[in-house]
Amino acid sequence: MAYLVPLFPLIGFLLNGVFRNSLSKGLVGIIGCGAVLASFVVSVILFLDVRAGGALAVQPLYPFIHVANFKIDFVFQVDQLSSLFLLIITGIGFLIHLYSTSYMHDETNDHFARYFSYLNLFVFSMLLLVLGANYVIMFIGWEGVGLCSYLLIGYWFKNTDYNKAANKAFIMNRIGDAGFLLGIFWLLSKLGTANYTDVFANVSNLTPTDITGITLLLFIGAMGKSAQIPLYTWLPDAMAGPTPVSALIHAATMVTAGIYMVARSNALYSLSPIAENLVAVIGIATALFAATIAIKQNDIKKVLAYSTVSQLGYMFLGLGVGAYTGSVFHVMTHAFFKALLFLGAGSVIHALHHEQDMRNMGGLKKYMPVTHWTFLIACIAIAGIPPFSGFFSKDEILAAAYAKNPVYWVLGVIGAGMTAFYMFRLYATTFLGQFRGTEEQKHHLHESPAAITIPLIILALLAFGGGFFNVPAIFGGGQQLHHYLSPVLTAEHEHEIAHSTELMLMGVSVGVALLAAIIALTKYARKPELNEPEGLGKVLANKWYIDELYDNVIVNPLLALGGFFKNVIEKSGIDGFVNGVGGFIQYSSRRLRLVQNGKVGTYILLMIFSILILWLAFWYQATITGFFQKIF
Amino acid sequence: MNAIIFSAGWGIIMMFCSFLVKNQSSYRHIAAVGLLVLLAANIFDTYGVDFFHIDSGKMLAYTRFGFVFNSIAIASTLIYVLLTGRDIERLGRYTAEFFTLVFFVLCGVCLLSAYNNLLMLFLGIEILTIPLYILTGSDKRNLKSNEAALKYFLMGSFSTGLMLMGIALMYGGTGTFLLESSRLQSNLYHGISFLEIVGLLFLLASMCFKVSAAPFHFWTPDVYDGAPSVVTSFMATIVKVAGFIAFLKLCTVRMSVTSTAIDWKLIFSIIIILTLLFGNITAIFQQSVKRMLAYSSISQAGFMLFALFSMNEYASKGLLMYSVAYCLATIGLFAVLVKMKDVTFEGYNGLAKTQPVLAATNAIFLFSLAGIPLTAGFLAKYYMLASIIKTGTYTWVVVAGVLFAAISVYYYFRVIQAMYFKNGEPQMESFGRSFKLGLVVLAAIIIIVGAFPQALFNWLYF
Repeated sequence: MAYLVPLFPLIGFLLNGVFRNSLSKGLVGIIGCGAVLASFVVSVILFLDVRAGGALAVQPLYPFIHVANFKIDFVFQVDQLSSLFLLIITGIGFLIHLYSTSYMHDETNDHFARYFSYLNLFVFSMLLLVLGANYVIMFIGWEGVGLCSYLLIGYWFKNTDYNKAANKAFIMNRIGDAGFLLGIFWLLSKLGTANYTDVFANVSNLTPTDITGITLLLFIGAMGKSAQIPLYTWLPDAMAGPTPVSALIHAATMVTAGIYMVARSNALYSLSPIAENLVAVIGIATALFAATIAIKQNDIKKVLAYSTVSQLGYMFLGLGVGAYTGSVFHVMTHAFFKALLFLGAGSVIHALHHEQDMRNMGGLKKYMPVTHWTFLIACIAIAGIPPFSGFFSKDEILAAAYAKNPVYWVLGVIGAGMTAFYMFRLYATTFLGQFRGTEEQKHHLHESPAAITIPLIILALLAFGGGFFNVPAIFGGGQQLHHYLSPVLTAEHEHEIAHSTELMLMGVSVGVALLAAIIALTKYARKPELNEPEGLGKVLANKWYIDELYDNVIVNPLLALGGFFKNVIEKSGIDGFVNGVGGFIQYSSRRLRLVQNGKVGTYILLMIFSILILWLAFWYQATITGFFQKIF
Repeated sequence: MNAIIFSAGWGIIMMFCSFLVKNQSSYRHIAAVGLLVLLAANIFDTYGVDFFHIDSGKMLAYTRFGFVFNSIAIASTLIYVLLTGRDIERLGRYTAEFFTLVFFVLCGVCLLSAYNNLLMLFLGIEILTIPLYILTGSDKRNLKSNEAALKYFLMGSFSTGLMLMGIALMYGGTGTFLLESSRLQSNLYHGISFLEIVGLLFLLASMCFKVSAAPFHFWTPDVYDGAPSVVTSFMATIVKVAGFIAFLKLCTVRMSVTSTAIDWKLIFSIIIILTLLFGNITAIFQQSVKRMLAYSSISQAGFMLFALFSMNEYASKGLLMYSVAYCLATIGLFAVLVKMKDVTFEGYNGLAKTQPVLAATNAIFLFSLAGIPLTAGFLAKYYMLASIIKTGTYTWVVVAGVLFAAISVYYYFRVIQAMYFKNGEPQMESFGRSFKLGLVVLAAIIIIVGAFPQALFNWLYF
């Protein structure tokens, strides 16, 4: 039955894509949303199956690549990890689809259908990625989400900047993909199989070098897809796409792929301390780095984008310190509140007619009550204030980090403080204070329609209550998620810290977060930051000039090299050669033509000479062939 | 024997028709019927039903290969008559005589595919060429046509002289006219009589003249260009291929010398390269499609010479394939060409807009000539190149062949470029729907043979 899950969005993609010129918007919406809803229903059934203790279901669909003894099948695997991801992808995906029917309503019919077909394809690719029972199928989905992100980021393709953003996303991802692919090749060359079950059963056949090499290469892929240093710059630029697309990329699909892949490969990563440490270091570095940038951004979506990069950093920190459940848990809660944040931001942008600069917002609290309240819930959740969902997942990661190395924990708490700060800065600037937009905008301010608010409310409930799925033992919780996932996440690192220590850690992190939130609220509610920042703030607002650095160090030299090849090597070298050959043949044609002078006498004379020459050639053929053999 | 006698007989019938039947347009119908009868008679002969038991005394030897080739030649002529019959009528009052001569040429073709005696070879060549001298000059009021006929006759006579001289020398060397002769053990040069070698060389030169292989090709552009287009179409296709069939027989029997010290490969490789060079390079600069096709026929001859070089099974199969691909494509191209009022490349400008069917079929014919896959021309070239590779020597000839084939794409595609990518109003003679249908069928045959070559080859065995 697992094949049904990706099948529905695929059908939806085909229907909406092929008939995009003839379908009405209503029908397009029904097909698009219905396909994902159907997948969600199937996913729920699968989830319940797995939960009830159904055996690990590996479902072969058809032989994919069979060459001699080398076999890669098209196989789906439904287990605890994939079924959980299925729920997140299809559930949140459905809400985003529903939301989009209203958000994208201004588009023309065919573009509306194009949007939904891409969206369905996106969900399909992600489902393929999660469902695949080997790395090759995962890679197909992996590439699929890359393609779809490209298509959707560049959805408004008439804008050159948007196209550049789409290209950037695609190219950055491809850099990561190259590493991922090499990792798969390495794996295949050593074990001859890419099936998870076979690989994890045979890890003992791999040398430590192999494992480290493979895991690091795979992690390069994860860096690209999940926007970690140094391949993170595409994600903030990906804001060029419609806001629901951002929600989809940040919450349900795409960026969680890297987390899923590392979690899936936990048996490999746990065997390579180097890889584990690298994952943790990259994770915490990204978490802090992105958080600093988020503090000074004024574009509402940019702040959210950097917050995603930062949160993904936390997840990788969790993976690096062996808190696989914590990371997956954080993926889940993050999906809830980040989707909510983006959709809320979208609601605001929609109401302000595509205004994204927070400096032109403010005071939206009274105009958009539903958006405001749901947004606030999301802010509290992401800031990690109990009992909202973010607290539970983030704290689980932080506790594990402390057990591994207290430095990780200290840095993590600093990051958490920054998170609370920039989120409440965003909240205060947008919703509190006075409206700073134009009169025209103020006149049109209104709460969004039901198709937008209903997903917001549902997500708000989840963002609030999502944490209760995995209440830690310290609060007398049953750690349901932990137990549920334990058959898959075999390498889970059980940390041993005393309850008193753990309580103290929690207290500190919550305290820091609360403090940061209150500072932000008091600072920005009355006097939002309207001026251009200076000093360090300017550096932060310009994202540490990383884009410029990449441009100067990598992009521009490459372009210069390409220009050299194009203008010098190709024009004068290759073109010159090719045209020269053509020119020479034309020239010889003109000369050779003159032999044909139309005089019979000449012709016969030439024929007689030819016979003589042929006669000589025949007579001395041994000499001639010998001569040629000497030359060649 | 059937085909020889029927073609000669129907030729005489056509002669009588010229004063018995007054209606001009019925001649081509009679000719078409005659060709059908001829085809049927030849197919009967292929399967062993010989209507005339004549003992030729080893002068003629029938082979399945020869019969299959006869069928191809007769069928091609039939297509030629059906497609260009109306244009032949426009040539003058002597339409019936025109068809008479075509039948006599076919008689020569059938003789050439079956000869087993050098005298029969000579006879076949003469029966083939003398009607052609007349046909070349059949546009009597056109000076160019007269000039071409005279040139052809002068140079043809010269080559006939060479051939007779060669045959005489070979007789002197071996004491027999039979193709398969035991060699006399006197005056030997590596096991072969000296006289025979000189004779073979003369024979080679004159055969090269017939198939317009360089450096004996000089008559070809002038004659093909000067002759009426309908005649050129016939001359450049069926007649030329028949010459190759005769040449192949001569080579496989007489020139495949077993002695290690002498073989003809060097001579043939020189001739091949020269032919490809003159044909392709000179074709590039031509402004008239008709003259371009004349040079293209030289370059195609260069490829057919590959078969004479390698003389293996690939070669004979490939030559058969080549004759189908080359004849049909060229007949189709000429059929359209004779309808054009302006036969330069400019004359074809914009044909795709005014006559899409003609342009599309023309494009397929050109693809086939250029050797683009899925057409018969591709497989034909493939067999030719493969035949040399099979011999294991002279691989550089194959490389040169491929390079020249690439050059040929240039002038073939110039026509396609003119038809599809240039603007113009091509002026054409009128033609009916059946003409278009004929072209489509022709194009379909080329593609079918290209896709299922076994359909043709199986005929060699079953």
